Amino acid sequence: MAEMVANRITDIGPPKYDEMWPEIIKNNYGKWLHHEILEPGVLVHVAESGDKLYTVRCGATRLMTTHMVEDYCKIADEFCGGYFRFTTRNNVEFMVTSTEKLEGLKKALAAAGNMPIGGTGHSVTNIVHTQGWVHCHTPAIDASGPVKSVMDALFDYFTSMKLPAQVRIALACCLNMCGAVHCSDIAILGVHRKPPVIEHSHLDKMCEIPTTIASCPTAAIKPSKVDDFKSVAVNADRCMYCGNCYTMCPAMPLADADGDGIAIMVGGKVSNSKCMPKFSKLAIPYIPNEPPRWESTVKAITTILEAYVSGAKRYERIGEWIERIGWERFFDVTGFEFTKRHIDDYRFAATTWRTSTQFKW
Amino acid sequence: MPTVTFKGKTYEVDEDGFLQDPESWDEDFAYYVKEEEGISELTDEHWKVIRYLQEYYKKNGIAPMVRIMTKVTGYKLKQIYELFPSGPGKGACKMAGLAKPTGCV
Repeated sequence: MAEMVANRITDIGPPKYDEMWPEIIKNNYGKWLHHEILEPGVLVHVAESGDKLYTVRCGATRLMTTHMVEDYCKIADEFCGGYFRFTTRNNVEFMVTSTEKLEGLKKALAAAGNMPIGGTGHSVTNIVHTQGWVHCHTPAIDASGPVKSVMDALFDYFTSMKLPAQVRIALACCLNMCGAVHCSDIAILGVHRKPPVIEHSHLDKMCEIPTTIASCPTAAIKPSKVDDFKSVAVNADRCMYCGNCYTMCPAMPLADADGDGIAIMVGGKVSNSKCMPKFSKLAIPYIPNEPPRWESTVKAITTILEAYVSGAKRYERIGEWIERIGWERFFDVTGFEFTKRHIDDYRFAATTWRTSTQFKW
Repeated sequence: MPTVTFKGKTYEVDEDGFLQDPESWDEDFAYYVKEEEGISELTDEHWKVIRYLQEYYKKNGIAPMVRIMTKVTGYKLKQIYELFPSGPGKGACKMAGLAKPTGCV
Protein backbone atom coordinates (compact mmCIF):
# COMPACT_ATOMS: atom_id res chain seq x y z
CA MET A 1 0.00 0.00 0.00
CA ALA A 2 3.01 2.17 -0.55
CA GLU A 3 2.15 5.44 -2.33
CA MET A 4 -1.59 5.24 -1.64
CA VAL A 5 -1.12 5.50 2.12
CA ALA A 6 2.17 7.39 2.31
CA ASN A 7 1.72 10.99 3.47
CA ARG A 8 -2.04 10.52 3.59
CA ILE A 9 -3.80 13.01 5.85
CA THR A 10 -7.15 11.84 7.27
CA ASP A 11 -9.78 12.63 9.90
CA ILE A 12 -9.00 16.33 10.17
CA GLY A 13 -12.66 17.36 9.77
CA PRO A 14 -13.86 20.69 8.41
CA PRO A 15 -12.10 23.95 9.32
CA LYS A 16 -13.43 25.37 12.59
CA TYR A 17 -16.50 27.51 11.95
CA ASP A 18 -15.13 30.64 13.60
CA GLU A 19 -12.03 30.80 11.41
CA MET A 20 -14.04 32.52 8.69
CA TRP A 21 -16.06 34.94 10.80
CA PRO A 22 -16.03 38.62 9.95
CA GLU A 23 -14.56 40.76 12.77
CA ILE A 24 -18.00 42.12 13.80
CA ILE A 25 -19.41 38.61 14.26
CA LYS A 26 -16.36 37.53 16.28
CA ASN A 27 -16.78 40.57 18.55
CA ASN A 28 -20.52 40.22 19.11
CA TYR A 29 -20.95 36.45 19.17
CA GLY A 30 -23.79 35.60 21.55
CA LYS A 31 -24.51 39.26 22.29
CA TRP A 32 -27.14 40.22 19.75
CA LEU A 33 -30.09 42.27 20.99
CA HIS A 34 -32.57 42.39 18.13
CA HIS A 35 -32.91 42.39 14.39
CA GLU A 36 -35.08 44.00 11.75
CA ILE A 37 -35.87 43.38 8.10
CA LEU A 38 -35.17 46.75 6.47
CA GLU A 39 -36.51 45.74 3.06
CA PRO A 40 -36.82 42.48 1.11
CA GLY A 41 -33.45 40.76 1.26
CA VAL A 42 -31.83 43.21 3.69
CA LEU A 43 -31.49 42.57 7.44
CA VAL A 44 -29.91 44.52 10.26
CA HIS A 45 -28.77 42.92 13.52
CA VAL A 46 -28.00 45.18 16.49
CA ALA A 47 -25.62 44.03 19.23
CA GLU A 48 -25.38 44.99 22.92
CA SER A 49 -22.30 47.07 22.06
CA GLY A 50 -24.38 49.07 19.57
CA ASP A 51 -22.62 47.45 16.61
CA LYS A 52 -24.86 47.09 13.57
CA LEU A 53 -24.53 44.26 11.06
CA TYR A 54 -26.28 44.65 7.71
CA THR A 55 -26.92 41.46 5.76
CA VAL A 56 -27.92 41.32 2.10
CA ARG A 57 -29.37 37.99 0.96
CA CYS A 58 -29.15 36.99 -2.71
CA GLY A 59 -30.75 34.16 -4.59
CA ALA A 60 -28.33 31.57 -5.96
CA THR A 61 -28.73 28.65 -8.32
CA ARG A 62 -27.00 26.15 -6.00
CA LEU A 63 -25.37 24.45 -9.01
CA MET A 64 -22.71 26.99 -9.96
CA THR A 65 -19.39 27.29 -11.70
CA THR A 66 -16.13 28.34 -10.06
CA HIS A 67 -16.49 31.55 -12.08
CA MET A 68 -19.72 32.31 -10.23
CA VAL A 69 -18.03 31.71 -6.88
CA GLU A 70 -15.20 33.99 -8.02
CA ASP A 71 -17.79 36.69 -8.74
CA TYR A 72 -19.12 36.30 -5.18
CA CYS A 73 -15.57 36.53 -3.87
CA LYS A 74 -14.94 39.75 -5.84
CA ILE A 75 -18.05 41.37 -4.32
CA ALA A 76 -17.04 40.13 -0.86
CA ASP A 77 -13.51 41.51 -1.35
CA GLU A 78 -14.80 44.89 -2.45
CA PHE A 79 -17.46 45.47 0.23
CA CYS A 80 -17.25 42.85 3.00
CA GLY A 81 -13.55 42.43 3.82
CA GLY A 82 -13.52 39.14 1.90
CA TYR A 83 -16.30 37.45 3.89
CA PHE A 84 -19.59 35.93 2.69
CA ARG A 85 -21.69 32.91 3.55
CA PHE A 86 -24.28 30.49 2.19
CA THR A 87 -27.63 29.92 3.92
CA THR A 88 -29.33 26.58 4.62
CA ARG A 89 -31.46 27.17 1.50
CA ASN A 90 -28.39 27.91 -0.64
CA ASN A 91 -28.85 31.66 -0.82
CA VAL A 92 -25.77 33.86 -0.51
CA GLU A 93 -25.38 36.46 2.24
CA PHE A 94 -23.03 39.43 2.17
CA MET A 95 -22.46 41.34 5.41
CA VAL A 96 -21.40 44.98 5.88
CA THR A 97 -21.18 47.28 8.90
CA SER A 98 -22.26 50.66 7.55
CA THR A 99 -25.16 52.04 5.54
CA GLU A 100 -22.78 53.63 2.98
CA LYS A 101 -21.23 50.25 2.23
CA LEU A 102 -24.72 48.72 2.17
CA GLU A 103 -25.82 51.10 -0.60
CA GLY A 104 -22.66 50.38 -2.61
CA LEU A 105 -23.14 46.63 -2.13
CA LYS A 106 -26.78 46.75 -3.26
CA LYS A 107 -25.78 48.68 -6.39
CA ALA A 108 -23.01 46.21 -7.20
CA LEU A 109 -25.36 43.23 -6.76
CA ALA A 110 -27.99 44.84 -8.99
CA ALA A 111 -25.32 45.56 -11.60
CA ALA A 112 -24.18 41.92 -11.53
CA GLY A 113 -27.59 40.91 -12.92
CA ASN A 114 -27.46 37.35 -11.55
CA MET A 115 -27.53 38.12 -7.82
CA PRO A 116 -31.18 39.02 -7.07
CA ILE A 117 -31.76 40.46 -3.60
CA GLY A 118 -34.61 38.93 -1.59
CA GLY A 119 -35.71 35.80 0.23
CA THR A 120 -36.37 37.32 3.66
CA GLY A 121 -39.58 37.47 5.73
CA HIS A 122 -42.88 36.34 4.27
CA SER A 123 -41.52 35.52 0.84
CA VAL A 124 -40.88 32.54 -1.39
CA THR A 125 -37.19 32.01 -0.85
CA ASN A 126 -34.86 29.61 -2.65
CA ILE A 127 -36.05 26.11 -3.59
CA VAL A 128 -34.20 23.28 -1.84
CA HIS A 129 -33.56 20.78 -4.62
CA THR A 130 -31.59 17.76 -5.75
CA GLN A 131 -29.49 16.43 -8.64
CA GLY A 132 -32.02 15.44 -11.29
CA TRP A 133 -30.71 14.60 -14.73
CA VAL A 134 -27.50 16.49 -14.03
CA HIS A 135 -25.90 13.76 -11.96
CA CYS A 136 -28.19 11.09 -10.40
CA HIS A 137 -29.17 7.66 -11.79
CA THR A 138 -32.58 7.21 -10.10
CA PRO A 139 -34.47 10.45 -10.92
CA ALA A 140 -37.99 10.57 -12.38
CA ILE A 141 -37.70 14.28 -13.18
CA ASP A 142 -35.04 16.94 -13.52
CA ALA A 143 -34.19 19.26 -10.60
CA SER A 144 -32.43 22.39 -11.88
CA GLY A 145 -34.84 22.79 -14.82
CA PRO A 146 -38.16 22.83 -12.91
CA VAL A 147 -36.58 24.94 -10.14
CA LYS A 148 -35.56 27.60 -12.64
CA SER A 149 -39.04 27.57 -14.22
CA VAL A 150 -40.86 27.84 -10.88
CA MET A 151 -38.60 30.58 -9.51
CA ASP A 152 -39.01 32.53 -12.76
CA ALA A 153 -42.78 32.43 -12.28
CA LEU A 154 -42.59 33.29 -8.56
CA PHE A 155 -39.76 35.80 -8.80
CA ASP A 156 -42.02 38.60 -7.65
CA TYR A 157 -42.61 36.70 -4.39
CA PHE A 158 -38.83 36.36 -3.89
CA THR A 159 -38.20 40.08 -4.07
CA SER A 160 -41.21 41.08 -1.92
CA MET A 161 -42.72 40.12 1.44
CA LYS A 162 -46.44 40.19 0.73
CA LEU A 163 -47.42 36.61 1.63
CA PRO A 164 -49.35 35.68 4.80
CA ALA A 165 -46.26 33.74 5.99
CA GLN A 166 -43.09 32.33 4.50
CA VAL A 167 -43.64 29.70 1.80
CA ARG A 168 -40.98 27.00 1.54
CA ILE A 169 -40.82 25.15 -1.77
CA ALA A 170 -38.68 22.05 -2.21
CA LEU A 171 -38.04 19.59 -5.02
CA ALA A 172 -36.80 16.01 -5.04
CA CYS A 173 -36.37 14.11 -8.29
CA CYS A 174 -37.35 10.72 -6.83
CA LEU A 175 -39.11 9.63 -3.66
CA ASN A 176 -35.88 9.02 -1.84
CA MET A 177 -36.83 12.63 -1.04
CA CYS A 178 -33.32 13.99 -0.58
CA GLY A 179 -33.84 17.42 0.92
CA ALA A 180 -37.05 18.79 2.35
CA VAL A 181 -40.03 17.78 0.19
CA HIS A 182 -41.68 15.84 3.01
CA CYS A 183 -41.81 18.93 5.22
CA SER A 184 -42.31 21.88 2.86
CA ASP A 185 -45.23 24.21 2.21
CA ILE A 186 -45.16 23.18 -1.44
CA ALA A 187 -43.23 20.14 -2.62
CA ILE A 188 -42.40 18.98 -6.14
CA LEU A 189 -41.67 15.26 -6.29
CA GLY A 190 -40.59 13.01 -9.15
CA VAL A 191 -42.71 9.83 -9.45
CA HIS A 192 -42.73 6.78 -11.71
CA ARG A 193 -45.87 5.02 -13.01
CA LYS A 194 -44.48 1.79 -14.45
CA PRO A 195 -42.91 -1.25 -12.76
CA PRO A 196 -39.20 -1.95 -13.28
CA VAL A 197 -37.86 -3.82 -16.29
CA ILE A 198 -36.00 -6.92 -15.11
CA GLU A 199 -32.79 -7.78 -16.92
CA HIS A 200 -32.77 -11.49 -16.08
CA SER A 201 -29.58 -12.45 -17.91
CA HIS A 202 -27.27 -10.53 -15.58
CA LEU A 203 -29.39 -9.72 -12.51
CA ASP A 204 -27.78 -12.36 -10.32
CA LYS A 205 -24.32 -11.24 -11.38
CA MET A 206 -24.80 -7.57 -10.56
CA CYS A 207 -27.26 -7.72 -7.67
CA GLU A 208 -27.62 -9.25 -4.26
CA ILE A 209 -31.03 -10.87 -4.69
CA PRO A 210 -31.95 -10.95 -0.94
CA THR A 211 -31.14 -7.25 -0.59
CA THR A 212 -33.28 -6.49 -3.62
CA ILE A 213 -36.24 -8.44 -2.24
CA ALA A 214 -35.89 -6.75 1.16
CA SER A 215 -35.85 -3.31 -0.49
CA CYS A 216 -39.51 -3.54 -1.54
CA PRO A 217 -41.93 -1.75 0.84
CA THR A 218 -44.94 -3.70 -0.49
CA ALA A 219 -43.25 -7.11 -0.82
CA ALA A 220 -43.87 -7.27 -4.58
CA ILE A 221 -40.53 -8.93 -5.35
CA LYS A 222 -39.82 -12.63 -4.98
CA PRO A 223 -36.95 -14.84 -6.12
CA SER A 224 -37.59 -16.63 -9.39
CA LYS A 225 -35.81 -18.76 -11.97
CA VAL A 226 -36.17 -17.44 -15.53
CA ASP A 227 -34.61 -19.37 -18.44
CA ASP A 228 -32.10 -21.00 -16.06
CA PHE A 229 -31.08 -17.59 -14.72
CA LYS A 230 -31.37 -16.93 -11.01
CA SER A 231 -33.47 -13.77 -10.96
CA VAL A 232 -36.52 -12.13 -9.40
CA ALA A 233 -40.18 -11.68 -10.33
CA VAL A 234 -42.18 -8.52 -9.69
CA ASN A 235 -45.88 -8.73 -8.94
CA ALA A 236 -47.06 -5.68 -10.89
CA ASP A 237 -50.30 -5.53 -8.90
CA ARG A 238 -48.33 -4.95 -5.71
CA CYS A 239 -45.71 -2.63 -7.24
CA MET A 240 -46.16 1.11 -6.61
CA TYR A 241 -43.10 2.11 -8.67
CA CYS A 242 -41.03 3.53 -5.82
CA GLY A 243 -37.79 2.46 -7.50
CA ASN A 244 -36.15 1.24 -4.28
CA CYS A 245 -35.24 -2.05 -5.98
CA TYR A 246 -33.37 -0.17 -8.71
CA THR A 247 -31.41 1.67 -6.04
CA MET A 248 -30.26 -1.70 -4.71
CA CYS A 249 -30.09 -3.57 -8.03
CA PRO A 250 -28.81 -1.97 -11.27
CA ALA A 251 -30.54 -4.70 -13.34
CA MET A 252 -34.04 -3.34 -12.55
CA PRO A 253 -34.30 0.06 -14.28
CA LEU A 254 -37.70 1.77 -14.28
CA ALA A 255 -37.20 5.30 -15.66
CA ASP A 256 -39.67 5.91 -18.49
CA ALA A 257 -40.17 9.04 -20.56
CA ASP A 258 -43.99 8.76 -20.71
CA GLY A 259 -44.57 7.20 -17.31
CA ASP A 260 -42.48 9.54 -15.19
CA GLY A 261 -43.71 12.87 -13.92
CA ILE A 262 -44.35 15.16 -11.00
CA ALA A 263 -46.50 14.86 -7.89
CA ILE A 264 -47.26 18.04 -5.95
CA MET A 265 -47.55 17.96 -2.15
CA VAL A 266 -48.55 20.77 0.18
CA GLY A 267 -48.80 21.78 3.80
CA GLY A 268 -45.57 20.64 5.47
CA LYS A 269 -43.42 22.66 7.86
CA VAL A 270 -40.55 22.11 10.27
CA SER A 271 -40.88 24.97 12.73
CA ASN A 272 -42.59 24.62 16.10
CA SER A 273 -44.33 27.99 15.99
CA LYS A 274 -48.08 27.92 16.75
CA CYS A 275 -48.51 24.26 15.78
CA MET A 276 -46.37 21.14 15.61
CA PRO A 277 -44.25 20.40 12.54
CA LYS A 278 -46.24 18.76 9.74
CA PHE A 279 -45.60 16.39 6.87
CA SER A 280 -46.64 17.65 3.44
CA LYS A 281 -49.62 15.83 1.88
CA LEU A 282 -50.53 14.91 -1.68
CA ALA A 283 -52.36 17.60 -3.67
CA ILE A 284 -51.80 16.47 -7.27
CA PRO A 285 -50.80 12.85 -7.95
CA TYR A 286 -49.39 13.33 -11.43
CA ILE A 287 -48.31 16.07 -13.81
CA PRO A 288 -46.38 15.03 -16.92
CA ASN A 289 -42.73 15.94 -17.38
CA GLU A 290 -42.63 18.95 -19.68
CA PRO A 291 -39.04 20.00 -20.29
CA PRO A 292 -37.67 22.58 -20.59
CA ARG A 293 -40.22 24.83 -18.80
CA TRP A 294 -42.65 22.44 -17.01
CA GLU A 295 -45.63 24.74 -17.73
CA SER A 296 -48.33 22.62 -16.02
CA THR A 297 -46.25 22.28 -12.86
CA VAL A 298 -45.58 26.01 -12.73
CA LYS A 299 -49.30 26.67 -13.26
CA ALA A 300 -50.29 24.29 -10.45
CA ILE A 301 -47.89 25.92 -7.99
CA THR A 302 -49.05 29.39 -8.96
CA THR A 303 -52.66 28.25 -8.40
CA ILE A 304 -51.86 26.96 -4.89
CA LEU A 305 -49.97 30.13 -4.01
CA GLU A 306 -52.72 32.46 -5.25
CA ALA A 307 -55.44 30.53 -3.42
CA TYR A 308 -53.30 30.67 -0.28
CA VAL A 309 -52.66 34.41 -0.59
CA SER A 310 -56.36 35.17 -0.95
CA GLY A 311 -57.55 32.71 1.69
CA ALA A 312 -55.03 32.62 4.51
CA LYS A 313 -54.85 34.79 7.60
CA ARG A 314 -51.70 36.61 8.59
CA TYR A 315 -48.91 34.31 9.90
CA GLU A 316 -50.73 31.21 8.66
CA ARG A 317 -48.49 28.70 6.86
CA ILE A 318 -50.04 26.75 3.96
CA GLY A 319 -50.58 23.65 6.12
CA GLU A 320 -52.27 25.67 8.88
CA TRP A 321 -54.50 27.40 6.33
CA ILE A 322 -55.59 24.09 4.81
CA GLU A 323 -56.28 22.52 8.18
CA ARG A 324 -58.38 25.51 9.19
CA ILE A 325 -60.53 25.54 6.04
CA GLY A 326 -60.53 21.73 5.62
CA TRP A 327 -59.03 19.65 2.83
CA GLU A 328 -62.35 19.49 0.92
CA ARG A 329 -62.29 23.30 0.74
CA PHE A 330 -58.65 23.24 -0.41
CA PHE A 331 -59.65 21.12 -3.41
CA ASP A 332 -62.58 23.51 -3.92
CA VAL A 333 -60.59 26.71 -4.02
CA THR A 334 -57.70 25.33 -6.08
CA GLY A 335 -59.93 23.43 -8.48
CA PHE A 336 -57.67 20.35 -8.28
CA GLU A 337 -59.41 17.06 -8.86
CA PHE A 338 -59.66 14.75 -5.85
CA THR A 339 -59.03 11.15 -6.94
CA LYS A 340 -58.65 7.73 -5.37
CA ARG A 341 -54.88 8.30 -5.57
CA HIS A 342 -55.20 10.84 -2.77
CA ILE A 343 -56.54 8.26 -0.32
CA ASP A 344 -53.80 6.72 1.78
CA ASP A 345 -53.59 2.92 1.46
CA TYR A 346 -50.23 2.13 3.05
CA ARG A 347 -50.10 0.14 6.31
CA PHE A 348 -51.46 2.56 8.94
CA ALA A 349 -53.64 4.32 6.35
CA ALA A 350 -56.75 4.20 8.52
CA THR A 351 -55.33 6.93 10.78
CA THR A 352 -55.63 9.35 7.85
CA TRP A 353 -59.26 8.55 6.99
CA ARG A 354 -62.10 10.65 8.39
CA THR A 355 -63.69 9.14 11.46
CA SER A 356 -66.16 11.95 12.05
CA THR A 357 -69.32 13.40 10.60
CA GLN A 358 -67.75 16.85 10.43
CA PHE A 359 -67.62 17.74 6.78
CA LYS A 360 -68.36 20.70 4.54
CA TRP A 361 -70.47 20.07 1.45
CA MET B 1 -18.14 -3.63 -21.41
CA PRO B 2 -14.51 -2.83 -20.52
CA THR B 3 -12.13 -5.70 -19.91
CA VAL B 4 -8.81 -5.94 -18.11
CA THR B 5 -6.00 -8.29 -19.03
CA PHE B 6 -3.74 -9.49 -16.25
CA LYS B 7 -1.15 -12.25 -16.44
CA GLY B 8 -2.53 -13.26 -19.83
CA LYS B 9 -6.11 -13.61 -18.57
CA THR B 10 -8.99 -11.34 -19.52
CA TYR B 11 -11.67 -10.27 -17.05
CA GLU B 12 -14.87 -8.41 -17.80
CA VAL B 13 -15.21 -5.50 -15.34
CA ASP B 14 -17.34 -2.37 -14.93
CA GLU B 15 -16.09 1.21 -14.92
CA ASP B 16 -15.06 0.91 -11.25
CA GLY B 17 -13.09 -2.29 -11.82
CA PHE B 18 -15.60 -4.64 -10.19
CA LEU B 19 -15.88 -8.10 -11.73
CA GLN B 20 -19.01 -8.40 -13.91
CA ASP B 21 -19.53 -12.08 -13.17
CA PRO B 22 -18.55 -13.49 -9.76
CA GLU B 23 -18.13 -16.89 -11.44
CA SER B 24 -15.15 -15.65 -13.44
CA TRP B 25 -13.15 -14.92 -10.27
CA ASP B 26 -9.82 -16.60 -9.70
CA GLU B 27 -6.83 -15.85 -7.50
CA ASP B 28 -5.12 -13.88 -10.24
CA PHE B 29 -7.99 -11.39 -10.20
CA ALA B 30 -7.20 -10.69 -6.56
CA TYR B 31 -3.59 -9.97 -7.60
CA TYR B 32 -4.88 -7.61 -10.32
CA VAL B 33 -6.91 -5.66 -7.72
CA LYS B 34 -3.89 -5.69 -5.40
CA GLU B 35 -1.91 -3.79 -8.06
CA GLU B 36 -4.80 -1.39 -8.66
CA GLU B 37 -5.28 -0.72 -4.95
CA GLY B 38 -1.58 -0.26 -4.32
CA ILE B 39 -1.35 -3.07 -1.78
CA SER B 40 2.25 -4.27 -1.48
CA GLU B 41 1.56 -7.96 -0.86
CA LEU B 42 -1.36 -10.26 -0.16
CA THR B 43 -0.86 -11.79 3.27
CA ASP B 44 -2.76 -14.60 4.96
CA GLU B 45 -4.85 -11.93 6.65
CA HIS B 46 -5.96 -10.60 3.26
CA TRP B 47 -6.85 -14.11 2.12
CA LYS B 48 -8.77 -14.80 5.32
CA VAL B 49 -11.01 -11.79 4.61
CA ILE B 50 -11.37 -12.64 0.91
CA ARG B 51 -12.25 -16.27 1.58
CA TYR B 52 -14.73 -15.29 4.26
CA LEU B 53 -16.48 -12.78 1.98
CA GLN B 54 -16.77 -15.38 -0.78
CA GLU B 55 -18.02 -18.05 1.56
CA TYR B 56 -20.66 -15.71 3.05
CA TYR B 57 -21.74 -14.51 -0.41
CA LYS B 58 -22.08 -18.06 -1.67
CA LYS B 59 -24.14 -19.11 1.32
CA ASN B 60 -26.35 -16.01 1.73
CA GLY B 61 -26.36 -14.26 -1.64
CA ILE B 62 -25.30 -10.96 -0.07
CA ALA B 63 -22.12 -9.38 1.21
CA PRO B 64 -21.91 -9.50 5.01
CA MET B 65 -22.55 -6.42 7.11
CA VAL B 66 -19.37 -4.84 8.43
CA ARG B 67 -20.21 -5.89 12.00
CA ILE B 68 -20.60 -9.52 10.98
CA MET B 69 -17.38 -9.48 8.97
CA THR B 70 -15.38 -7.98 11.81
CA LYS B 71 -16.91 -10.34 14.35
CA VAL B 72 -16.20 -13.51 12.38
CA THR B 73 -12.75 -12.62 11.02
CA GLY B 74 -11.71 -11.03 14.32
CA TYR B 75 -10.29 -7.98 12.50
CA LYS B 76 -11.57 -4.62 13.70
CA LEU B 77 -12.66 -2.13 11.06
CA LYS B 78 -9.40 -0.25 11.60
CA GLN B 79 -7.43 -3.41 10.75
CA ILE B 80 -9.61 -4.03 7.70
CA TYR B 81 -8.66 -0.56 6.45
CA GLU B 82 -5.00 -1.33 7.14
CA LEU B 83 -5.33 -4.43 4.95
CA PHE B 84 -7.55 -2.81 2.32
CA PRO B 85 -6.92 0.97 2.20
CA SER B 86 -10.11 1.58 0.17
CA GLY B 87 -12.18 -0.17 2.82
CA PRO B 88 -14.30 -3.32 3.01
CA GLY B 89 -16.54 -2.39 0.02
CA LYS B 90 -14.31 -0.88 -2.64
CA GLY B 91 -11.27 -2.84 -1.50
CA ALA B 92 -12.12 -6.23 -0.04
CA CYS B 93 -15.39 -6.97 -1.90
CA LYS B 94 -13.85 -5.94 -5.20
CA MET B 95 -10.87 -8.21 -4.56
CA ALA B 96 -13.16 -11.09 -3.63
CA GLY B 97 -15.11 -10.68 -6.87
CA LEU B 98 -18.40 -9.78 -5.18
CA ALA B 99 -21.05 -7.58 -6.82
CA LYS B 100 -20.47 -3.84 -6.52
CA PRO B 101 -22.07 -2.33 -3.40
CA THR B 102 -25.30 -0.43 -4.19
CA GLY B 103 -27.62 2.05 -2.52
CA CYS B 104 -26.83 5.60 -1.42
CA VAL B 105 -23.12 4.95 -0.83
